[in-house]
Amino acid sequence: MSLNVDRAGTAFSFKGGMLPMTVMELTSADPEQIREQLAGKVSQSPAFFQHTPVVLSVEKLAEPHLALERICAVCRAHKLLPVAVRGGADPVKQSAWALGLGWFPPQEERVRNLESVSRSLPEEELPSPAPAGMAPVANRIHRGTVRSGQQVSAAEGDLIVLGSVNAGAEVLAGGNVHVYGALRGRALAGIHGDREAGIFCHELHAELLSLAGNYKRLEDIDPQLLGTAVQVRLNDDQLAIAPLV
Amino acid sequence: MAKIIVVTSGKGGVGKTTSAAAIATGLALRGKKTVVIDFDVGLRNLDLIMGCERRVVYDLINVIQGEAGLNQAMIRDKRVDNLHILPASQTRDKDALSAEGVEKVLDTLTKDFDYVVCDSPAGIERGAQLAMYYADEAVVVTNPEVSSVRDSDRILGLLGSKTRRAEQGQDPVKEHLLITRYDPERVNHGDMLNLEDIQEILSINLIGLIPESEAVLRASNQGVPVTHDQKSDAGQAYVDTVSRLLGEDIPLRFHEYQKKSLLSRVFGGGRR
Repeated sequence: MSLNVDRAGTAFSFKGGMLPMTVMELTSADPEQIREQLAGKVSQSPAFFQHTPVVLSVEKLAEPHLALERICAVCRAHKLLPVAVRGGADPVKQSAWALGLGWFPPQEERVRNLESVSRSLPEEELPSPAPAGMAPVANRIHRGTVRSGQQVSAAEGDLIVLGSVNAGAEVLAGGNVHVYGALRGRALAGIHGDREAGIFCHELHAELLSLAGNYKRLEDIDPQLLGTAVQVRLNDDQLAIAPLV
Repeated sequence: MAKIIVVTSGKGGVGKTTSAAAIATGLALRGKKTVVIDFDVGLRNLDLIMGCERRVVYDLINVIQGEAGLNQAMIRDKRVDNLHILPASQTRDKDALSAEGVEKVLDTLTKDFDYVVCDSPAGIERGAQLAMYYADEAVVVTNPEVSSVRDSDRILGLLGSKTRRAEQGQDPVKEHLLITRYDPERVNHGDMLNLEDIQEILSINLIGLIPESEAVLRASNQGVPVTHDQKSDAGQAYVDTVSRLLGEDIPLRFHEYQKKSLLSRVFGGGRR
Protein backbone atom coordinates (compact mmCIF):
# COMPACT_ATOMS: atom_id res chain seq x y z
CA MET A 1 0.00 0.00 0.00
CA SER A 2 2.72 2.48 0.91
CA LEU A 3 4.92 3.82 -1.81
CA ASN A 4 7.96 4.11 0.42
CA VAL A 5 8.67 7.71 -0.37
CA ASP A 6 11.32 9.30 1.78
CA ARG A 7 10.07 9.41 5.37
CA ALA A 8 10.84 13.01 6.18
CA GLY A 9 8.60 14.14 3.34
CA THR A 10 5.54 12.16 4.47
CA ALA A 11 3.11 14.23 6.49
CA PHE A 12 0.63 11.42 7.04
CA SER A 13 -0.48 8.05 5.88
CA PHE A 14 -3.97 6.56 5.68
CA LYS A 15 -4.61 3.41 7.66
CA GLY A 16 -7.72 1.30 7.85
CA GLY A 17 -9.03 0.96 11.39
CA MET A 18 -11.96 -0.49 13.30
CA LEU A 19 -12.53 1.45 16.49
CA PRO A 20 -15.18 0.61 19.04
CA MET A 21 -17.87 3.29 18.80
CA THR A 22 -20.96 4.00 20.81
CA VAL A 23 -24.11 4.41 18.76
CA MET A 24 -26.79 6.61 20.27
CA GLU A 25 -30.04 5.40 18.77
CA LEU A 26 -32.58 8.20 18.86
CA THR A 27 -36.22 7.29 19.31
CA SER A 28 -37.26 10.89 19.86
CA ALA A 29 -36.33 13.97 17.87
CA ASP A 30 -37.19 16.33 20.73
CA PRO A 31 -33.97 17.91 22.05
CA GLU A 32 -35.63 18.76 25.39
CA GLN A 33 -36.66 15.17 25.99
CA ILE A 34 -33.17 14.00 25.08
CA ARG A 35 -31.67 16.55 27.44
CA GLU A 36 -33.77 15.42 30.39
CA GLN A 37 -33.02 11.75 29.89
CA LEU A 38 -29.32 12.35 29.25
CA ALA A 39 -29.04 14.28 32.50
CA GLY A 40 -30.45 11.22 34.28
CA LYS A 41 -27.96 8.91 32.60
CA VAL A 42 -25.04 11.20 33.41
CA SER A 43 -25.84 11.13 37.11
CA GLN A 44 -26.08 7.32 37.00
CA SER A 45 -22.73 6.70 35.33
CA PRO A 46 -20.71 9.89 35.06
CA ALA A 47 -17.60 7.90 34.12
CA PHE A 48 -19.12 7.04 30.75
CA PHE A 49 -19.61 10.68 29.78
CA GLN A 50 -16.02 11.83 29.31
CA HIS A 51 -16.16 13.40 25.86
CA THR A 52 -17.15 9.99 24.54
CA PRO A 53 -17.46 9.99 20.74
CA VAL A 54 -20.88 8.82 19.58
CA VAL A 55 -22.62 8.14 16.30
CA LEU A 56 -26.17 9.47 16.29
CA SER A 57 -28.42 6.91 14.69
CA VAL A 58 -31.65 8.46 13.38
CA GLU A 59 -32.88 5.41 11.50
CA LYS A 60 -35.85 4.95 13.83
CA LEU A 61 -37.07 8.51 13.30
CA ALA A 62 -39.61 9.21 10.60
CA GLU A 63 -39.13 13.01 10.47
CA PRO A 64 -37.37 14.17 7.30
CA HIS A 65 -36.06 17.28 9.08
CA LEU A 66 -34.31 17.18 12.45
CA ALA A 67 -33.11 19.85 14.88
CA LEU A 68 -29.69 18.25 14.50
CA GLU A 69 -27.77 21.27 15.69
CA ARG A 70 -29.72 21.44 18.95
CA ILE A 71 -29.45 17.70 19.53
CA CYS A 72 -25.67 17.92 19.05
CA ALA A 73 -25.49 20.84 21.48
CA VAL A 74 -27.41 18.81 24.09
CA CYS A 75 -24.97 15.91 23.61
CA ARG A 76 -21.92 18.14 23.94
CA ALA A 77 -23.34 19.77 27.07
CA HIS A 78 -23.38 16.27 28.59
CA LYS A 79 -19.87 15.42 27.43
CA LEU A 80 -20.83 13.28 24.48
CA LEU A 81 -19.12 14.15 21.21
CA PRO A 82 -21.26 13.43 18.16
CA VAL A 83 -18.88 12.54 15.34
CA ALA A 84 -21.30 11.29 12.73
CA VAL A 85 -24.93 10.62 11.90
CA ARG A 86 -26.27 7.32 10.65
CA GLY A 87 -29.37 7.09 8.49
CA GLY A 88 -32.03 9.69 7.84
CA ALA A 89 -33.30 11.39 4.72
CA ASP A 90 -31.34 13.68 2.43
CA PRO A 91 -31.96 16.89 4.47
CA VAL A 92 -30.50 15.13 7.51
CA LYS A 93 -27.44 14.15 5.50
CA GLN A 94 -27.00 17.72 4.30
CA SER A 95 -27.32 19.24 7.76
CA ALA A 96 -24.90 16.64 9.20
CA TRP A 97 -22.33 17.72 6.63
CA ALA A 98 -23.06 21.37 7.33
CA LEU A 99 -22.34 20.72 11.02
CA GLY A 100 -19.02 19.10 10.16
CA LEU A 101 -20.27 15.59 11.01
CA GLY A 102 -19.81 12.48 8.95
CA TRP A 103 -22.79 10.61 7.50
CA PHE A 104 -23.25 6.84 7.31
CA PRO A 105 -25.94 5.07 5.33
CA PRO A 106 -28.58 3.23 7.41
CA GLN A 107 -27.32 0.01 8.91
CA GLU A 108 -29.51 -2.48 6.99
CA GLU A 109 -28.42 -1.11 3.68
CA ARG A 110 -24.76 -1.28 4.61
CA VAL A 111 -24.98 -4.85 5.84
CA ARG A 112 -26.66 -5.88 2.63
CA ASN A 113 -23.89 -4.24 0.62
CA LEU A 114 -21.22 -6.03 2.61
CA GLU A 115 -22.97 -9.35 2.20
CA SER A 116 -23.25 -9.01 -1.50
CA VAL A 117 -19.61 -8.01 -1.70
CA SER A 118 -18.40 -10.91 0.40
CA ARG A 119 -20.54 -13.34 -1.53
CA SER A 120 -18.98 -12.26 -4.74
CA LEU A 121 -15.47 -12.70 -3.35
CA PRO A 122 -13.69 -16.04 -3.53
CA GLU A 123 -12.99 -17.58 -0.11
CA GLU A 124 -9.26 -16.80 -0.05
CA GLU A 125 -9.80 -13.13 -0.69
CA LEU A 126 -12.19 -12.49 2.17
CA PRO A 127 -11.21 -9.25 3.87
CA SER A 128 -9.10 -10.04 6.92
CA PRO A 129 -10.53 -9.15 10.31
CA ALA A 130 -9.20 -6.23 12.36
CA PRO A 131 -5.41 -5.92 12.10
CA ALA A 132 -3.39 -7.74 14.74
CA GLY A 133 -2.57 -5.67 17.81
CA MET A 134 -5.88 -3.89 17.81
CA ALA A 135 -8.36 -5.14 20.36
CA PRO A 136 -11.67 -6.02 18.73
CA VAL A 137 -13.49 -5.42 22.04
CA ALA A 138 -13.30 -2.45 24.34
CA ASN A 139 -11.30 -3.44 27.41
CA ARG A 140 -11.01 -0.83 30.09
CA ILE A 141 -8.33 -0.04 32.63
CA HIS A 142 -9.31 1.94 35.71
CA ARG A 143 -6.40 3.39 37.67
CA GLY A 144 -6.96 4.08 41.35
CA THR A 145 -9.51 3.15 43.95
CA VAL A 146 -13.15 2.63 42.99
CA ARG A 147 -14.94 4.31 45.85
CA SER A 148 -18.28 3.74 47.58
CA GLY A 149 -21.15 4.83 45.34
CA GLN A 150 -19.08 4.69 42.16
CA GLN A 151 -19.80 2.33 39.31
CA VAL A 152 -17.16 1.43 36.75
CA SER A 153 -18.08 -0.71 33.79
CA ALA A 154 -16.61 -2.15 30.63
CA ALA A 155 -19.78 -3.01 28.75
CA GLU A 156 -18.17 -5.23 26.13
CA GLY A 157 -14.69 -6.25 27.23
CA ASP A 158 -12.62 -6.87 30.34
CA LEU A 159 -12.38 -4.45 33.21
CA ILE A 160 -8.99 -4.10 34.89
CA VAL A 161 -8.86 -2.15 38.15
CA LEU A 162 -5.39 -1.07 39.27
CA GLY A 163 -6.41 -0.40 42.85
CA SER A 164 -9.08 -1.53 45.25
CA VAL A 165 -12.85 -1.68 44.86
CA ASN A 166 -14.26 -0.40 48.14
CA ALA A 167 -17.44 -1.44 49.91
CA GLY A 168 -20.47 0.14 48.27
CA ALA A 169 -18.77 0.36 44.87
CA GLU A 170 -19.71 -1.73 41.85
CA VAL A 171 -17.59 -2.97 38.95
CA LEU A 172 -19.16 -4.58 35.87
CA ALA A 173 -17.82 -6.10 32.69
CA GLY A 174 -19.12 -7.94 29.68
CA GLY A 175 -15.93 -9.99 29.97
CA ASN A 176 -13.65 -10.61 32.94
CA VAL A 177 -13.12 -8.43 35.99
CA HIS A 178 -9.57 -8.14 37.33
CA VAL A 179 -8.90 -6.28 40.56
CA TYR A 180 -5.27 -5.75 41.47
CA GLY A 181 -6.10 -4.77 45.02
CA ALA A 182 -8.76 -5.58 47.58
CA LEU A 183 -12.25 -6.34 46.25
CA ARG A 184 -14.66 -5.14 48.94
CA GLY A 185 -17.59 -4.03 46.77
CA ARG A 186 -19.70 -5.81 44.15
CA ALA A 187 -18.16 -7.39 41.08
CA LEU A 188 -20.24 -8.59 38.12
CA ALA A 189 -18.56 -10.26 35.16
CA GLY A 190 -20.13 -11.65 31.99
CA ILE A 191 -23.06 -9.28 32.33
CA HIS A 192 -24.31 -10.16 28.83
CA GLY A 193 -24.30 -13.85 29.67
CA ASP A 194 -20.72 -14.86 28.84
CA ARG A 195 -20.33 -18.04 30.89
CA GLU A 196 -16.58 -18.14 30.35
CA ALA A 197 -16.02 -14.84 32.13
CA GLY A 198 -14.28 -14.80 35.48
CA ILE A 199 -13.41 -12.52 38.39
CA PHE A 200 -9.85 -12.27 39.65
CA CYS A 201 -8.70 -10.32 42.68
CA HIS A 202 -5.81 -10.02 45.09
CA GLU A 203 -7.84 -9.79 48.27
CA LEU A 204 -11.38 -11.08 48.48
CA HIS A 205 -13.91 -9.31 50.70
CA ALA A 206 -16.57 -8.88 48.01
CA GLU A 207 -20.13 -7.96 48.97
CA LEU A 208 -21.34 -9.78 45.89
CA LEU A 209 -19.78 -11.83 43.10
CA SER A 210 -21.78 -12.45 39.94
CA LEU A 211 -20.94 -14.37 36.78
CA ALA A 212 -23.40 -14.40 33.89
CA GLY A 213 -26.28 -13.75 36.28
CA ASN A 214 -25.32 -16.36 38.88
CA TYR A 215 -24.23 -14.82 42.13
CA LYS A 216 -22.78 -15.37 45.57
CA ARG A 217 -23.15 -12.98 48.50
CA LEU A 218 -20.46 -12.33 51.08
CA GLU A 219 -22.42 -14.59 53.46
CA ASP A 220 -22.17 -17.52 51.04
CA ILE A 221 -18.41 -17.28 50.62
CA ASP A 222 -16.20 -19.69 52.55
CA PRO A 223 -14.68 -17.50 55.31
CA GLN A 224 -11.32 -19.18 54.78
CA LEU A 225 -11.09 -17.60 51.35
CA LEU A 226 -11.70 -14.08 52.63
CA GLY A 227 -8.65 -11.87 52.39
CA THR A 228 -6.88 -14.19 49.95
CA ALA A 229 -6.10 -13.91 46.25
CA VAL A 230 -8.74 -15.82 44.29
CA GLN A 231 -10.22 -16.58 40.90
CA VAL A 232 -13.93 -17.07 40.43
CA ARG A 233 -15.28 -19.24 37.62
CA LEU A 234 -18.67 -20.57 36.66
CA ASN A 235 -19.02 -24.30 37.15
CA ASP A 236 -22.46 -25.78 36.35
CA ASP A 237 -24.31 -22.59 37.32
CA GLN A 238 -22.34 -22.47 40.55
CA LEU A 239 -19.64 -19.94 41.33
CA ALA A 240 -16.40 -21.78 42.07
CA ILE A 241 -13.90 -19.75 44.08
CA ALA A 242 -10.34 -21.04 44.05
CA PRO A 243 -6.94 -19.66 45.03
CA LEU A 244 -5.49 -17.47 42.30
CA VAL A 245 -2.29 -19.49 41.95
CA MET B 1 -4.77 33.97 45.73
CA ALA B 2 -6.14 32.08 48.68
CA LYS B 3 -6.29 28.34 48.91
CA ILE B 4 -9.81 27.03 49.38
CA ILE B 5 -9.93 24.13 51.84
CA VAL B 6 -13.16 22.20 52.40
CA VAL B 7 -13.64 20.28 55.63
CA THR B 8 -16.04 17.46 54.81
CA SER B 9 -16.96 13.89 55.80
CA GLY B 10 -20.29 12.68 54.49
CA LYS B 11 -21.28 11.42 57.92
CA GLY B 12 -22.57 13.79 60.56
CA GLY B 13 -21.20 14.23 64.05
CA VAL B 14 -17.63 13.21 63.28
CA GLY B 15 -16.12 16.61 64.03
CA LYS B 16 -16.27 18.65 60.84
CA THR B 17 -17.18 21.95 62.45
CA THR B 18 -14.80 21.42 65.38
CA SER B 19 -12.03 20.65 62.89
CA ALA B 20 -12.88 23.56 60.58
CA ALA B 21 -12.81 25.97 63.56
CA ALA B 22 -9.61 24.45 64.95
CA ILE B 23 -7.80 24.43 61.60
CA ALA B 24 -8.88 27.97 60.69
CA THR B 25 -7.75 29.18 64.13
CA GLY B 26 -4.45 27.33 63.74
CA LEU B 27 -3.83 28.88 60.32
CA ALA B 28 -4.57 32.37 61.66
CA LEU B 29 -2.26 31.75 64.64
CA ARG B 30 0.46 30.99 62.10
CA GLY B 31 -0.08 34.44 60.60
CA LYS B 32 -2.20 33.38 57.63
CA LYS B 33 -5.14 35.61 56.83
CA THR B 34 -8.01 33.16 57.11
CA VAL B 35 -11.77 33.14 56.76
CA VAL B 36 -13.94 30.20 57.78
CA ILE B 37 -17.36 29.84 56.13
CA ASP B 38 -20.30 27.88 57.53
CA PHE B 39 -22.07 26.09 54.66
CA ASP B 40 -24.52 24.31 56.94
CA VAL B 41 -27.45 26.57 56.08
CA GLY B 42 -30.36 25.92 58.44
CA LEU B 43 -28.21 24.18 61.07
CA ARG B 44 -25.84 26.97 61.97
CA ASN B 45 -23.16 25.74 64.39
CA LEU B 46 -19.81 27.24 63.49
CA ASP B 47 -20.57 30.56 65.21
CA LEU B 48 -21.19 28.67 68.48
CA ILE B 49 -17.92 26.76 68.23
CA MET B 50 -16.10 29.99 67.40
CA GLY B 51 -17.86 31.81 70.24
CA CYS B 52 -19.28 34.61 68.12
CA GLU B 53 -22.98 33.67 68.05
CA ARG B 54 -23.98 36.93 69.70
CA ARG B 55 -22.36 39.02 67.04
CA VAL B 56 -24.09 37.55 63.99
CA VAL B 57 -26.05 40.18 62.04
CA TYR B 58 -25.86 39.13 58.41
CA ASP B 59 -24.98 35.72 57.00
CA LEU B 60 -23.80 33.91 53.89
CA ILE B 61 -27.30 33.81 52.36
CA ASN B 62 -27.76 37.56 52.84
CA VAL B 63 -24.50 38.08 50.96
CA ILE B 64 -25.44 35.67 48.17
CA GLN B 65 -28.81 37.35 47.74
CA GLY B 66 -27.28 40.82 47.72
CA GLU B 67 -28.93 41.95 50.96
CA ALA B 68 -25.62 42.63 52.67
CA GLY B 69 -21.99 43.16 51.73
CA LEU B 70 -19.30 40.64 52.58
CA ASN B 71 -17.65 43.02 55.03
CA GLN B 72 -20.94 43.49 56.86
CA ALA B 73 -21.48 39.76 57.22
CA MET B 74 -17.96 38.70 58.17
CA ILE B 75 -17.23 38.63 61.90
CA ARG B 76 -13.74 39.40 63.09
CA ASP B 77 -12.47 36.88 65.65
CA LYS B 78 -11.76 38.47 69.04
CA ARG B 79 -8.90 36.16 69.98
CA VAL B 80 -6.79 35.99 66.83
CA ASP B 81 -5.99 38.67 64.31
CA ASN B 82 -6.32 37.59 60.70
CA LEU B 83 -9.32 35.35 61.43
CA HIS B 84 -12.82 36.00 60.12
CA ILE B 85 -16.02 33.98 60.32
CA LEU B 86 -18.80 34.01 57.73
CA PRO B 87 -21.82 32.45 59.44
CA ALA B 88 -24.63 30.46 57.84
CA SER B 89 -28.27 31.41 57.96
CA GLN B 90 -30.35 29.59 60.56
CA THR B 91 -33.74 30.49 59.13
CA ARG B 92 -33.19 29.42 55.50
CA ASP B 93 -32.42 26.07 53.96
CA LYS B 94 -29.76 24.81 51.60
CA ASP B 95 -31.81 25.58 48.48
CA ALA B 96 -31.01 29.24 49.12
CA LEU B 97 -27.40 28.49 48.15
CA SER B 98 -26.71 29.02 44.46
CA ALA B 99 -23.60 27.92 42.62
CA GLU B 100 -23.12 31.36 41.09
CA GLY B 101 -23.60 33.07 44.45
CA VAL B 102 -21.08 30.81 46.18
CA GLU B 103 -18.61 31.31 43.36
CA LYS B 104 -18.93 35.08 43.60
CA VAL B 105 -18.38 35.08 47.36
CA LEU B 106 -15.36 32.76 47.08
CA ASP B 107 -13.87 34.78 44.21
CA THR B 108 -13.99 37.92 46.33
CA LEU B 109 -12.59 36.22 49.42
CA THR B 110 -9.70 34.53 47.60
CA LYS B 111 -8.41 37.96 46.60
CA ASP B 112 -8.12 39.20 50.19
CA PHE B 113 -7.25 36.08 52.17
CA ASP B 114 -4.55 33.40 52.31
CA TYR B 115 -6.93 30.60 53.28
CA VAL B 116 -10.66 30.10 52.87
CA VAL B 117 -11.90 27.21 55.02
CA CYS B 118 -15.34 25.85 54.06
CA ASP B 119 -17.18 23.95 56.78
CA SER B 120 -19.35 21.47 54.88
CA PRO B 121 -22.71 20.18 56.10
CA ALA B 122 -23.14 16.42 56.52
CA GLY B 123 -24.59 14.39 53.67
CA ILE B 124 -23.88 14.42 49.97
CA GLU B 125 -26.63 16.77 48.84
CA ARG B 126 -26.60 20.32 47.56
CA GLY B 127 -25.04 21.99 50.60
CA ALA B 128 -22.17 19.52 50.80
CA GLN B 129 -21.63 19.57 47.03
CA LEU B 130 -21.47 23.37 46.90
CA ALA B 131 -19.09 23.47 49.88
CA MET B 132 -16.65 21.20 48.03
CA TYR B 133 -17.23 22.35 44.44
CA TYR B 134 -14.65 25.17 44.33
CA ALA B 135 -12.12 23.57 46.71
CA ASP B 136 -8.40 23.28 46.05
CA GLU B 137 -7.82 20.97 48.99
CA ALA B 138 -10.07 18.79 51.09
CA VAL B 139 -9.75 17.64 54.66
CA VAL B 140 -11.84 14.48 55.00
CA VAL B 141 -12.77 14.00 58.64
CA THR B 142 -13.17 10.36 59.61
CA ASN B 143 -13.90 8.56 62.88
CA PRO B 144 -12.40 5.13 63.50
CA GLU B 145 -15.62 3.31 62.75
CA VAL B 146 -16.86 1.40 59.72
CA SER B 147 -19.78 3.66 58.78
CA SER B 148 -17.70 6.82 58.93
CA VAL B 149 -15.01 5.26 56.73
CA ARG B 150 -17.65 4.18 54.21
CA ASP B 151 -19.12 7.70 54.05
CA SER B 152 -15.67 9.26 53.70
CA ASP B 153 -15.00 6.90 50.82
CA ARG B 154 -18.18 8.12 49.15
CA ILE B 155 -17.16 11.76 49.65
CA LEU B 156 -13.73 11.03 48.14
CA GLY B 157 -15.50 9.70 45.07
CA LEU B 158 -17.45 12.95 44.79
CA LEU B 159 -14.30 15.04 45.29
CA GLY B 160 -12.85 13.22 42.32
CA SER B 161 -15.85 13.87 40.08
CA LYS B 162 -18.18 16.62 41.31
CA THR B 163 -15.76 19.49 41.83
CA ARG B 164 -14.74 22.32 39.56
CA ARG B 165 -11.22 20.91 39.33
CA ALA B 166 -12.56 17.51 38.27
CA GLU B 167 -15.09 18.91 35.81
CA GLN B 168 -12.60 21.25 34.17
CA GLY B 169 -9.88 18.62 34.04
CA GLN B 170 -7.46 20.59 36.23
CA ASP B 171 -5.15 19.06 38.85
CA PRO B 172 -7.39 17.07 41.19
CA VAL B 173 -8.44 18.37 44.60
CA LYS B 174 -5.65 17.56 47.08
CA GLU B 175 -7.21 15.12 49.56
CA HIS B 176 -6.12 14.83 53.19
CA LEU B 177 -7.35 12.36 55.78
CA LEU B 178 -8.01 13.69 59.29
CA ILE B 179 -8.88 11.00 61.82
CA THR B 180 -10.72 12.33 64.85
CA ARG B 181 -11.93 10.83 68.14
CA TYR B 182 -9.15 8.25 68.00
CA ASP B 183 -8.84 6.29 71.21
CA PRO B 184 -5.69 4.12 71.17
CA GLU B 185 -6.91 2.08 74.12
CA ARG B 186 -10.15 1.09 72.41
CA VAL B 187 -8.24 0.44 69.19
CA ASN B 188 -6.03 -1.96 71.16
CA HIS B 189 -9.13 -3.74 72.43
CA GLY B 190 -10.47 -4.03 68.89
CA ASP B 191 -13.46 -1.74 69.53
CA MET B 192 -12.25 0.76 66.96
CA LEU B 193 -10.68 0.51 63.55
CA ASN B 194 -6.97 1.16 63.68
CA LEU B 195 -5.10 3.82 61.81
CA GLU B 196 -3.57 1.46 59.27
CA ASP B 197 -6.92 -0.12 58.32
CA ILE B 198 -8.52 3.28 57.73
CA GLN B 199 -5.58 4.43 55.63
CA GLU B 200 -5.60 1.23 53.63
CA ILE B 201 -9.27 1.53 52.73
CA LEU B 202 -9.26 5.25 51.94
CA SER B 203 -5.72 5.28 50.49
CA ILE B 204 -5.11 9.00 50.86
CA ASN B 205 -2.48 10.99 52.70
CA LEU B 206 -2.94 11.30 56.50
CA ILE B 207 -2.78 14.94 57.57
CA GLY B 208 -3.52 14.46 61.24
CA LEU B 209 -4.87 12.32 64.04
CA ILE B 210 -6.89 13.90 66.83
CA PRO B 211 -7.22 11.78 69.96
CA GLU B 212 -10.54 11.43 71.76
CA SER B 213 -10.31 14.15 74.35
CA GLU B 214 -12.43 15.88 76.96
CA ALA B 215 -10.89 19.12 75.83
CA VAL B 216 -12.89 19.02 72.56
CA LEU B 217 -16.32 18.97 74.19
CA ARG B 218 -15.28 21.61 76.69
CA ALA B 219 -13.94 23.81 73.91
CA SER B 220 -17.17 23.46 71.92
CA ASN B 221 -19.34 24.42 74.84
CA GLN B 222 -17.17 27.38 75.75
CA GLY B 223 -16.99 28.60 72.17
CA VAL B 224 -13.21 28.55 72.14
CA PRO B 225 -11.64 26.50 69.32
CA VAL B 226 -9.61 23.69 70.85
CA THR B 227 -6.45 24.92 69.12
CA HIS B 228 -6.24 27.58 71.86
CA ASP B 229 -6.04 24.85 74.51
CA GLN B 230 -2.37 24.12 74.08
CA LYS B 231 -2.23 21.99 77.23
CA SER B 232 -4.64 19.46 75.72
CA ASP B 233 -3.55 16.62 73.44
CA ALA B 234 -6.33 17.48 70.96
CA GLY B 235 -5.19 21.11 70.79
CA GLN B 236 -1.61 20.02 70.12
CA ALA B 237 -2.77 17.52 67.53
CA TYR B 238 -4.61 20.27 65.63
CA VAL B 239 -1.49 22.45 65.72
CA ASP B 240 0.46 19.53 64.20
CA THR B 241 -2.27 19.14 61.57
CA VAL B 242 -2.05 22.81 60.60
CA SER B 243 1.73 22.58 60.33
CA ARG B 244 1.38 19.63 57.96
CA LEU B 245 -1.19 21.55 55.91
CA LEU B 246 1.46 24.26 55.59
CA GLY B 247 3.83 21.66 54.20
CA GLU B 248 5.90 20.84 57.28
CA ASP B 249 7.00 17.33 58.11
CA ILE B 250 5.78 16.63 61.65
CA PRO B 251 5.89 13.14 63.19
CA LEU B 252 2.55 11.61 64.22
CA ARG B 253 1.64 11.75 67.91
CA PHE B 254 -1.12 10.36 70.16
CA HIS B 255 -1.69 7.23 68.09
CA GLU B 256 -0.09 4.75 70.45
CA TYR B 257 -1.55 3.52 73.67
CA GLN B 258 0.51 4.82 76.61
CA LYS B 259 -1.45 4.14 79.72
CA LYS B 260 0.19 6.49 82.17
CA SER B 261 0.82 9.51 80.07
CA LEU B 262 -2.66 9.36 78.56
CA LEU B 263 -4.33 9.16 81.95
CA SER B 264 -2.27 11.99 83.32
CA ARG B 265 -3.15 14.09 80.29
CA VAL B 266 -6.84 13.37 80.67
CA PHE B 267 -6.87 14.16 84.39
CA GLY B 268 -4.56 17.10 83.93
CA GLY B 269 -6.95 18.45 81.32
CA GLY B 270 -10.05 17.65 83.35
CA ARG B 271 -9.03 19.70 86.36
CA ARG B 272 -8.24 22.90 84.65
